[in-house]
Amino acid sequence: MKELTSIMRMMMKEKKDIVLSIILGFIAGLAAVLLFSASGYLISKAAFAPPFYTLMLVIASVKLLSFIRAFSRYGERYVSHRGTFTMLSQLRMAFYEKLEPLAPGIFQKYRSGDLLSRIVGDVESLQNLFLRVVYPPIVLALVFMSTIFFTMFYSIETAVILFGGFLLTAIVIPAIFAARQRTIDSKVRLKRAALSTEVTELLYGFRDLKIYQQLDNKEKQLLQASDTYITEQEQEEKTTLFNQSLNQFVSLLVTVAVLAVGAYLIDTGELDGIFLAMLIMITLTVFEDAPAMAVFPIHFNDSRRSAKRLFSIMEQKDGQEQEHVAQTLTINEPPEITLENVSFTFTGEERRAVEQVDVHLPSGSKTALVGASGSGKSTLMQLMLYLVAPEQGRVMINGIELAHVDEESIWQLANVVLQENHFFYGTIRDNLLLANDTATDEELQSILAMVQLEHFHLEDKVYERGENLSGGEKQRLAIARAMLKGGSFWVLDEPTSSLDAVTEQAIYDHLFRQAADDTVVLISHRLAGLETMDQIIVMDEGKVVEVGTFTELMEKQGYFYEMKELENNLL
Amino acid sequence: MNQIKNYLYENKQSAIYLLLLSLLMGGAIVVQAYLLVTIIDGAFLKDWSFQETIPLLAVLFFILLARSFIPFISGKIGIRLGTSAKSHFRKQLLSHFANNPVQASLKGQSGQKVSLMMDAIDEVDSYFSSYIPQVIRSSVIPLIILIVVFTEHVNSGLIMLITSPFIPLFMVIIGMQTKKKSEEQMEELAAFSGRFLDTLQGLVTLKLFGKAKQQKKVIQTSSLRFRDATMEILKVAFTSSFMLELISMLAIGLVALEVALQLIVFDGIAFFTAFLVLVLAPEYFTSLRQLGTAFHNGKSSMGAAKKVAEELALEEDSAVIWGEKPFSKPEGPASLELQQVTFQYGEDAFTLHPMSTTFAPKSKNAIVGKTGSGKSTLLHLLAGIVVPDAGKILLGGNPLSAYKEADWFAQLSYISQHPYIFAGTIAENIAIGSRETATREAITRAAEEAGLADMIMALENGYDTHVGEGGRGLSGGEKQRLALARAFLKQPAIVLFDEPTTGLDLKTERILQASIQKLSETATIITVAHRLHTIKDADHILYLDQGRLIAEGTHAQLLEHAEGYRKMVTIQRGGLQR
Repeated sequence: MKELTSIMRMMMKEKKDIVLSIILGFIAGLAAVLLFSASGYLISKAAFAPPFYTLMLVIASVKLLSFIRAFSRYGERYVSHRGTFTMLSQLRMAFYEKLEPLAPGIFQKYRSGDLLSRIVGDVESLQNLFLRVVYPPIVLALVFMSTIFFTMFYSIETAVILFGGFLLTAIVIPAIFAARQRTIDSKVRLKRAALSTEVTELLYGFRDLKIYQQLDNKEKQLLQASDTYITEQEQEEKTTLFNQSLNQFVSLLVTVAVLAVGAYLIDTGELDGIFLAMLIMITLTVFEDAPAMAVFPIHFNDSRRSAKRLFSIMEQKDGQEQEHVAQTLTINEPPEITLENVSFTFTGEERRAVEQVDVHLPSGSKTALVGASGSGKSTLMQLMLYLVAPEQGRVMINGIELAHVDEESIWQLANVVLQENHFFYGTIRDNLLLANDTATDEELQSILAMVQLEHFHLEDKVYERGENLSGGEKQRLAIARAMLKGGSFWVLDEPTSSLDAVTEQAIYDHLFRQAADDTVVLISHRLAGLETMDQIIVMDEGKVVEVGTFTELMEKQGYFYEMKELENNLL
Repeated sequence: MNQIKNYLYENKQSAIYLLLLSLLMGGAIVVQAYLLVTIIDGAFLKDWSFQETIPLLAVLFFILLARSFIPFISGKIGIRLGTSAKSHFRKQLLSHFANNPVQASLKGQSGQKVSLMMDAIDEVDSYFSSYIPQVIRSSVIPLIILIVVFTEHVNSGLIMLITSPFIPLFMVIIGMQTKKKSEEQMEELAAFSGRFLDTLQGLVTLKLFGKAKQQKKVIQTSSLRFRDATMEILKVAFTSSFMLELISMLAIGLVALEVALQLIVFDGIAFFTAFLVLVLAPEYFTSLRQLGTAFHNGKSSMGAAKKVAEELALEEDSAVIWGEKPFSKPEGPASLELQQVTFQYGEDAFTLHPMSTTFAPKSKNAIVGKTGSGKSTLLHLLAGIVVPDAGKILLGGNPLSAYKEADWFAQLSYISQHPYIFAGTIAENIAIGSRETATREAITRAAEEAGLADMIMALENGYDTHVGEGGRGLSGGEKQRLALARAFLKQPAIVLFDEPTTGLDLKTERILQASIQKLSETATIITVAHRLHTIKDADHILYLDQGRLIAEGTHAQLLEHAEGYRKMVTIQRGGLQR
């Protein structure tokens, strides 16, 4: 319920459209009732050969009502849909806005196919909330009340029957269905998400599925998911159909009742026979839209589920934001980074990824982080960028705790190359401009040349996730992007691991020339070449085990020395 | 489009049922009108007593029951048709995606494909569940009503006949627009899906580049474009129902006017006839008008179906064609031979120049060279996931393509630099390596051999930890070792290996070396090598540069003869110099 209230609140932004829809819907409904009652009256009246002018009056009003009906109906539909789809568009944006700060942690909880299904499928299904759930009952009730009021002047009994019929078709039967609906938990939304998730995975993992000969299995699985989804849809459609048919039958029964009572009253002389045709026409018309009310509970429940699925994500607390007193960082010189007694554990793991680490990176210094895979180097780097928040200890930039700094101003400073870098569907140019959209084509070309990608054209296509680039090409493109960005804090996580030594060296030449005055952290898997770094931090099992320059560490003959010895032996 | 028609043809039995039900429905409508009018006529003009009307009221009750029941049945048939149609088309699309060659599978945005699979297929539904039943209904019911009206009062029948052609006319005009607009709408939705999914994957990158806010605008524009496309199509729909409503209302008004005039001025017909016509006229036009709405839905379904058909018709270029020759390990890993193999990615893109070499059975091979030298391409060719433009790849003397696809992949492990980790547990992810269900022992052993066991044991849930999307993230090195564990489980005849490059601790490194050594006792190993010790230990080294095989031989041979190779080794020894 809470979720729906939030959606309703968003809906209220389109208040004007809602009110207009109700008014136009009311006019359209009433015009139809009047139109048919007028023609029913006309025909009865005509049987008595009345003066011609009364007939003309009725005929003229019939014409007028037809126009009013058609126009207001058009207006109602147009306005209500405009309001709805504007709202859905806003909802999609609201969803995305909530999602964005949750990365990267969100992917440990949700799968992208599922998220896609939410922003498309669930949001789309919420159109029924407004178009079927919120305003039509109001319109229906208004039209009914006016009609009943109108009928009262001719036959109290008919008015009572109409009222009874209204209660039955618009309230009692939908309520019964609603109660039943609550017990049969429709899974259409869930099954849709499941299918969408599986399809996404088939596409993403296609090559591996093919090589491991698992495509057949996956295809079978998907067919099954599709069938369950379709079955759920079918079930829902059948329920809809049943509810609608039943309500249709009840509303037709009301016509029989009106007819029977009318015939009886004429027989007893309590009703003028001239009105019977009119009353029947009124009944037939006013109940035309009533069967739709039987579907109300289905749409209501469906909307509630969709809203819930949307808000379960939108209400995720990201722990980082709470105590966040955003302070924009204004730094002109390369930053100084300090970690004090920092610890961090990934959820679901017993072992701390980083444990009580103290690290100091002076402004403009060059630091190498070395250690085995799984020793916590990448996590330490994520902590420095505030991509994850420390569970204990403090991370500071120029003496200010990161928790108090606007994250974006940290990222603005940083030129980052991750172990895995994302490339967007588009061109080489698009992917480079991400770092600096004011760069000219010449600048981009010269950067590409620095990372030895001069054979790339800026218009060359980049497939989704850079699938048409080799590992080495991706890394070089990522380095090019970092070089374009122009921040003064370089964070490089094994940026050249897929490159051969020759290329690596050439690229490092350019990179370190550009970063001469900047603060640099380099996670490296090769120990050779670290001689010129200002400090080397050696990590093992989440702890810092040694810190010093290359020479210092070699003289110390500790962990680093051992690693270096082994590397030499392997060479 | 033809697919839809063919599918409909296959289900013509349902169409016959629908036709019969429509005939019944038409009958029910006419009888209902007769009864209503008779009762009113009786009560109003003929001074019937209430008792006289009771039997008629009882009959009316049953007719109304039929009127509610018949649409229920035909609705069910419609739902069944729509349901099986969705299943049918989704199956086709799925098998199309599953049989795509790897190269083709990488093109386009995944989100777009997902959208096609979900939204477009769902959209096809209404063609069968609402359009077809309505077409059948609307071609039968108005006809029945028209016949009845003609027999009762020719003038009204004429008015109805003359005004009704406007309805199909408008429908045709509108229908033409709808289909195109609905294709546009599907495109916008697919574009939105594609953009959203791509953005989602790259959110961290966007944040780090301070572009998350800007990307929001891109998403917003896309979202608004979808809204506008939706409104465009709805506007057509509303205009069409507006026109249809106006025409039918005017026509009903005309009918009412005519019968009223007949009744008073010319005294030509009875009240009964006049009222019957007045009751039947709205039924007649409602049925036609509903056709208009259904027609609109049908056309948007066809738009969606066209998108699906377009995807299905995409030619599967350079699909690898496999033969029927069996291949299995007991015969021992066969030699792999390249004969003048060339390959090019599109025009003036990277080219692999004619290359010939032989990989002996159970040998350890290393491919080295600068990035962009063609190492990955060579690996793709050897894996059989891309086809050479010219030249031959021979397996045991026979063309690779002569073998059964399943047999070949059953004997191949390909450990790429970025293996895909499926959403599921670690155990499940390793088990993918084997086609049969693997025991937990086998999985554990494979993980140990891949040097992954320690890391897994440190996790709270061990092998049952969820990884991949919706689970724990793995580092690059961990992913590769997981892929390696898949290979150990599989025990293939040929291992293609894009060597892991992230730092391993020494213990893990040693475990790996020993395991790979063991693997090589029964398999041919071809490694894109980055680490010198792998290179040094290889029986056969290929040195590639710019798509050409510059030199091959052992480490010692190459050091002596290939200058580029020597330089490369020296630099790696000396490390980077700034």
